[in-house]
Amino acid sequence: MAATFFGEVVKAPCRAGTEDEEEEEGRRETPEDREVRQQLARKREVRLLRRQTKTSLEVSLLEKYPCSKFIIAIGNNAVAFLSSFVMNSGVWEEVGCAKLWNEWCRTADSTHLSSTEAFCGFYHLKSNPSVFGSCPRKNMQITVLTCRHVTDYKTLESTGSLPSPFLKALKTQNFKDPACCPLLEQPNIVHDLPAAVLSYCQVWKIPAILYLCYTDVMKLDLITVEAFKPILSTRSLKSLVKNIPQSTEILKKLMTTNEIQSNIYT
Amino acid sequence: MASRYDRAITVFSPDGHLFQVEYAQEAVKKGSTAVGIRGTNIVVLGVEKKSVAKLQDERTVRKICALDDHVCMAFAVLTIFIGLTADARVVINRARVECQSHKLTVEDPVTVEYITRFIATLKQKYTQSNGRRPFGISALIVGFDDDGIPRLYQTDPSGTYHAWKANAIGRSAKTVREFLEKNYTEDAIASDNEAIKLAIKALLEVVQSGGKNIELAIIRRNQPLKMFSAKEVELYVTEIEKEKEEAEKKKSKKSV
Repeated sequence: MAATFFGEVVKAPCRAGTEDEEEEEGRRETPEDREVRQQLARKREVRLLRRQTKTSLEVSLLEKYPCSKFIIAIGNNAVAFLSSFVMNSGVWEEVGCAKLWNEWCRTADSTHLSSTEAFCGFYHLKSNPSVFGSCPRKNMQITVLTCRHVTDYKTLESTGSLPSPFLKALKTQNFKDPACCPLLEQPNIVHDLPAAVLSYCQVWKIPAILYLCYTDVMKLDLITVEAFKPILSTRSLKSLVKNIPQSTEILKKLMTTNEIQSNIYT
Repeated sequence: MASRYDRAITVFSPDGHLFQVEYAQEAVKKGSTAVGIRGTNIVVLGVEKKSVAKLQDERTVRKICALDDHVCMAFAVLTIFIGLTADARVVINRARVECQSHKLTVEDPVTVEYITRFIATLKQKYTQSNGRRPFGISALIVGFDDDGIPRLYQTDPSGTYHAWKANAIGRSAKTVREFLEKNYTEDAIASDNEAIKLAIKALLEVVQSGGKNIELAIIRRNQPLKMFSAKEVELYVTEIEKEKEEAEKKKSKKSV
């Protein structure tokens, strides 16, 4: 690939032959290489830890705390929505967290990650054990919340005229309830973790629904979080939410007032 | 399709898009929210002010700038640019030079429309040259002309400009514009104070931390421009909150 004077990217023709030829020699792996590779694999393991201690959860989380409703929030706006609207009513207890490390993490030491650096926290509702009912997997329903930038939304209209932020839903075949917003139309697709969760649920016939908020502000933003509000009227979340005005106050506090002015954008 | 036609500014896509210009408009959405209102005898410009880093001199972070200050005749042209800070600085400098050059050549201060057209033409030139990228900024330009009529113009990275009664640019501009469409009525701009309150109310829809993060400036007909201090903005904010409470009390009384 090369950039021309005008800035277009073109594929540069290669005069050294095709790129498929690979050298067979010099590729033998020494025991040292194997050792390094194993160490790296150990470092990158995902560890499920019990409740802020360092003991790991030997039993699978869902068997220890069987649940009927499982809600996943991905991205800072979805997490802010969940913490201020759903988790402020009732007492939620942290049962564990997942920690992992890969080369892109900024900390070098993987063994001493503090609890605040956990990548995923698991919470369960203390006051309403039926949410974590006694029938694992049979009546389980999964809700996934996430955000995406509005320029990823493919449509005939120009992105300027879209009423962003807006909500779209995607559900598995076994999910029978109606979604509170229009379904995601083709040719739009879902990426990353939400896609993986939904695919898993579709294959194992678990009813699941994904609520995807298209927004043009990817940072923590009041308007984007409030775009998730229609979800509170669905059957699955209605029972969990009690106090909406208080939630708005909590949300405002979450918005960091010391959001520093970026020097690049005025 | 986008990936093959979006790297060079001088290339149209088959369906007629200039992708670099559209991407520049996304850069504008990364800036703060700014709102401009044209009243009967006043023009108001307000912008969201985020906090600066601890060691940074806050005084040097001013967003609303005067393009031309007609000291003796007390007309002025105020502007705010939203988007890439460095691009804004360059364009403001060029515009200021143009204002003075116009005054020297023609012995008349620029009209708001003239300087807006100058800025828009400059932006358009950068969408048609090779090797250069468009300016990633939108501007709100306000002022009074010789004839005493208030004006508000908005430009965007493509180089278009239009006159508006009220408009918003930057982050969540759409939400603010919808608020203005609902609330910009003849009553709302009848008095100067009401126009100022409308601008602050519009900004409070998206500014998360209240009055202390709002920068406001106004020009009244035949008066020099006025930049509001934080205290003055707070006064208006308290007034707005009082009115809101009274309106809610009335509503609850009616429903009882």
